[in-house]
Amino acid sequence: MLHDLIRILGLWRTRWSWLAAGALVAMVAALAGVALLAFAGRGVSEGLRTGMLAGAAAGSLLLLRPLIFLRPAARYLERLVTHAATFRALADTRVWFFRRLAERLPGGLGLRRAGDLLGRLVSDVEALDGLYLRALVPAVAALAVVLATTLLLGAISPPLAAIVAVPLACALLLPPLLAPGAARAAEAVAEAQGGVRAAAIDPLLGIEDILAANAEPRASARLSAAAETLTAAQERLSRRSAWGGASGTVLAQAALLGALGYGLAGGPGVAGATVVGLFLALAAAESLSALPRAGIALAAAGAGARRLFEAADTPAPVAEPVTPAAPPAGHALRVEGVRFAWAPDREPVFTDLSFDLPEGGRLALLGPSGAGKSTLGSLLLKLAAPGEGRILLGGADIATLSHDAVRARIACLTQDARLFDDSIAANLRLAAPDAPDEALWQALDRAGIGETVRALPEGLATGCGEGGARFSGGQGRRLALARVLLAPAKIVILDEPAAGLDPSAERAFLETLESATEGRSVILITHRLLGVERPTRILRLIAGRAIPAMG
Amino acid sequence: MPPKAEAARARALLSAAAREGRGRLARPILLGAASIACGIAQVWLIARVLTALLGHGEAEWGEAGWPELAAAAGLALLATGLTVAQERAQAAAGAAARASLRDRAFAILLAAGPADERPVGERAALVVDRIEALDGYFSRWLPAAALAMIGPLMIALAVAVVDPLSGIIMLAAGAMVPVAMALTGIGAALASRRQFDALQALSGRFLDRMRGLPQLVLFRRQEAEAESLALAATDLRRRTMRVLRVAFLSGLSLEAIAAAVLGCLAWRHGNLLVGGHPAPVAALFSILLVPAFFAPLRAFSAAYHERMSANGAAAALAPLLLDTVPEPGLLLEEVPPSLVVTFEGVGLTYDAARGAALSDLSFRVMPGEALVLAGPSGSGKSSVLRLLMGFRRADIGRISFNGRDATTLAPAELRKLSAYVGQKAHLFRATIRENIALARPAATATQIEAAARAARVTDFTDAMPEGLDTLVGEGGFGLSGGQAQRVAIARAFLRDAPLVLLDEPTAHLDPGTEADVLDSLRRLCAGRTAVIATHSAALRARFARVMELEDGRAVPVNRLAGE
Repeated sequence: MLHDLIRILGLWRTRWSWLAAGALVAMVAALAGVALLAFAGRGVSEGLRTGMLAGAAAGSLLLLRPLIFLRPAARYLERLVTHAATFRALADTRVWFFRRLAERLPGGLGLRRAGDLLGRLVSDVEALDGLYLRALVPAVAALAVVLATTLLLGAISPPLAAIVAVPLACALLLPPLLAPGAARAAEAVAEAQGGVRAAAIDPLLGIEDILAANAEPRASARLSAAAETLTAAQERLSRRSAWGGASGTVLAQAALLGALGYGLAGGPGVAGATVVGLFLALAAAESLSALPRAGIALAAAGAGARRLFEAADTPAPVAEPVTPAAPPAGHALRVEGVRFAWAPDREPVFTDLSFDLPEGGRLALLGPSGAGKSTLGSLLLKLAAPGEGRILLGGADIATLSHDAVRARIACLTQDARLFDDSIAANLRLAAPDAPDEALWQALDRAGIGETVRALPEGLATGCGEGGARFSGGQGRRLALARVLLAPAKIVILDEPAAGLDPSAERAFLETLESATEGRSVILITHRLLGVERPTRILRLIAGRAIPAMG
Repeated sequence: MPPKAEAARARALLSAAAREGRGRLARPILLGAASIACGIAQVWLIARVLTALLGHGEAEWGEAGWPELAAAAGLALLATGLTVAQERAQAAAGAAARASLRDRAFAILLAAGPADERPVGERAALVVDRIEALDGYFSRWLPAAALAMIGPLMIALAVAVVDPLSGIIMLAAGAMVPVAMALTGIGAALASRRQFDALQALSGRFLDRMRGLPQLVLFRRQEAEAESLALAATDLRRRTMRVLRVAFLSGLSLEAIAAAVLGCLAWRHGNLLVGGHPAPVAALFSILLVPAFFAPLRAFSAAYHERMSANGAAAALAPLLLDTVPEPGLLLEEVPPSLVVTFEGVGLTYDAARGAALSDLSFRVMPGEALVLAGPSGSGKSSVLRLLMGFRRADIGRISFNGRDATTLAPAELRKLSAYVGQKAHLFRATIRENIALARPAATATQIEAAARAARVTDFTDAMPEGLDTLVGEGGFGLSGGQAQRVAIARAFLRDAPLVLLDEPTAHLDPGTEADVLDSLRRLCAGRTAVIATHSAALRARFARVMELEDGRAVPVNRLAGE
């Protein structure tokens, strides 16, 4: 846990000045609070002891006035600065996490559920605010109070200092003592929260199938069960938090009553010191009251950090070359003796795959579902690396080229090409951020959806909805196709480009394939040819090899 | 909706839930009040001991010493125990309230189905984050609000008994706290709502981008997206800080009042000192009680922020929980063995700007007959199926089953009549076997295996080490599109309903597999009423009756091939 938390602090290093400023203001506010109560108590008590308003009594009451203004102002400032610092640090973490996942899980989420990941990012990143706001800041403030108390009392009466400071110092140890125990409970809460989110998202994603199966009561029951697990975990955590709070209170009371006991044992001679000790203990109790919760917050932050790093540390499927070779000028593609399996214990997809695609060539790759047609796209785009053999792009092994250089030259319409919840224009411009509107219209026309978009009242600004929900399956497919055609890549991989199109539209599109992809190399992955594609070469994937088929 | 009306609805939602859980919510308040009473008694004892120490023991209340100190320690332990019990009671009250609201909200979301077009992340946030955000209202704000009234009143009265003026100073300060908070809180409530909207937008955006991460990576836009995510986070921070600048003002006013009370009391008792204090115990008692006096108010101030968060969440939940009326409809007495489906002049419009999805559509399908709906994408094929599934109600015209108006049935009852295979089958994170059993949870292992065989699922699961018990992830990771579709077809076999609805069932299959699946589909449709939307020429060729749709209308060339 400690290691993860230190790593989080490392991620925040650019924000250290903000974080340090927050801690400093918190110390000032805590000390002002202690001074306020101590001066008020001491002023009255000294007056009672000596029977007049002079000397220490008058001095204390006089010092009270500036503190009355300093304390609220310092507290307000503390809260503003610490929160501003936290939000900055958390935003950094959020972006860091996104970048890491793009690098480590470029091929998608797979068995890691998107819902679960969202839970990780939102809840876990937010739980990290506890590390600073509820653990570090209160700890620093309490430490300042305990140190000040010890020094002040130490100057008056060392034994009294020991009686008051020892329980208070013990309270300082509560966060690290409570944290490991609470960590397990907090981890269970975070885990259960992910479970609740997944139980809500999964049926909503497949809502048509749930409704069609009349499975609403079962989905509801699953969510209720997940929520009960969460409640039980939260209950365990809150029990720990309550007992932690109780031990803090008991320690503060021990300091307070200890000071009083010292006074009773020492008689009138120590009454002055006792008063100071008593009021300091009473004032310190407020600063220390946040500490037991600090242990819980520390544990929650630790659990969140562990889960974040667990996802972020997934090894990258294909490592970037340390010193990438210069990108080649040409874009002829050559696959040589590639052997590949998704996992060592799974059947190899390719045993000995070899083929050539000259610049401007159009290769049709045929095969039944499950023959590895889509896997080829992953290999060419460096989402996976061949176990044996190599892939040459313009004569250079793509393993020696940077991912970026390869993906700049190869665009791919994947089977699961997804539209984002954004405008049509923004979706298309993913492929070419600076493309003018004319280029967008040209791509839409080539994909055979230009007319449909022109008929929309908002045209290119029309929102696509989540996953392109605003459009029918076929229309969404064509928008994704337009996006790929817009990309300035020299090689285009089209994985079942016409899936979801009706036969006449499919035929019309494939007939225009030659002009739509003019000047580029094309790999058309499909399970059948209509006879209008005019490929320069046809290969059939059989048993992990590419066999020339009749053209 | 004006913000005022919205806030009123949020409050209505919260107070209705609070009324339901009244019994549970009272316990923490009683326990908290008992703990405060112990605290007052303890401070009284401490004040007496301290007075004795300062040499005024003989005055007023007599000597105090070790017995009083021991009693104070005992009271401290008792108060601590009561506080622990209070915290546990309030956690339980919050959990119960959340559970009941979550169940209701999720049931409504499920019933609304695909008609609710908000992104999934946003809808899930309603039943997860928004409901969790209500916790503070029940488990902290309600008890804190009650104790903020009761606690300071108890303490001020206790002080007033021994020194009336000190008691009045405290009472006046206590009365000022809610006024100051209300003044600073009004703006914060509005801003809090905006902050929640921003947080939700950030969540929705992130889920969307995560789901499409491969696209971002392939188009090399991950860096640009990370930057715009950072911008969105900065925007969220600005909004939140705007909320907090105002929200923390209530904390500032509380701190200022607390400091002022301490100053006033010190000043009053300091002045009394001139000429000997008449009631030294009362002086120390009132000053020692200042932290305890403000503790419930501090708790209230902390929880006040929680209430505003809860109000924001409740305002988002209110349209869902207060406005949704369950769609009326009769229950199905029993699933009939056969079904005649009739459309008469049916019309449907999703969005007036985009024209009608269906207009004046009429047809009849008899048991044992399969109607193939053909036509270009967007011609209305899927809309017909959506109507038959009860996902939508027709705007005009009549849909009847066995001559009875289908709209008299509740949508969920309507769906009991049919088995459905959509364009994109969703595989839930479970085993393939469980995914098939979704269609009929009571099915035996043998029935599930038979359905899997009929849909040719076993063709690929037989090669897997765990067979039908292989785990598949969200969106069907590990299975190709065609394989996922076959699992969906197996569901339809298992369902064994009189009406079969197929939406592009073979769209993702290669010709060889399609031919195999078509045989299975023919067997599935045999003896049942079937409506099939498809592009596939092979599929059309297998079924006799085809209806061409164009722009939501039937093309009048119904052919009855093969008859």
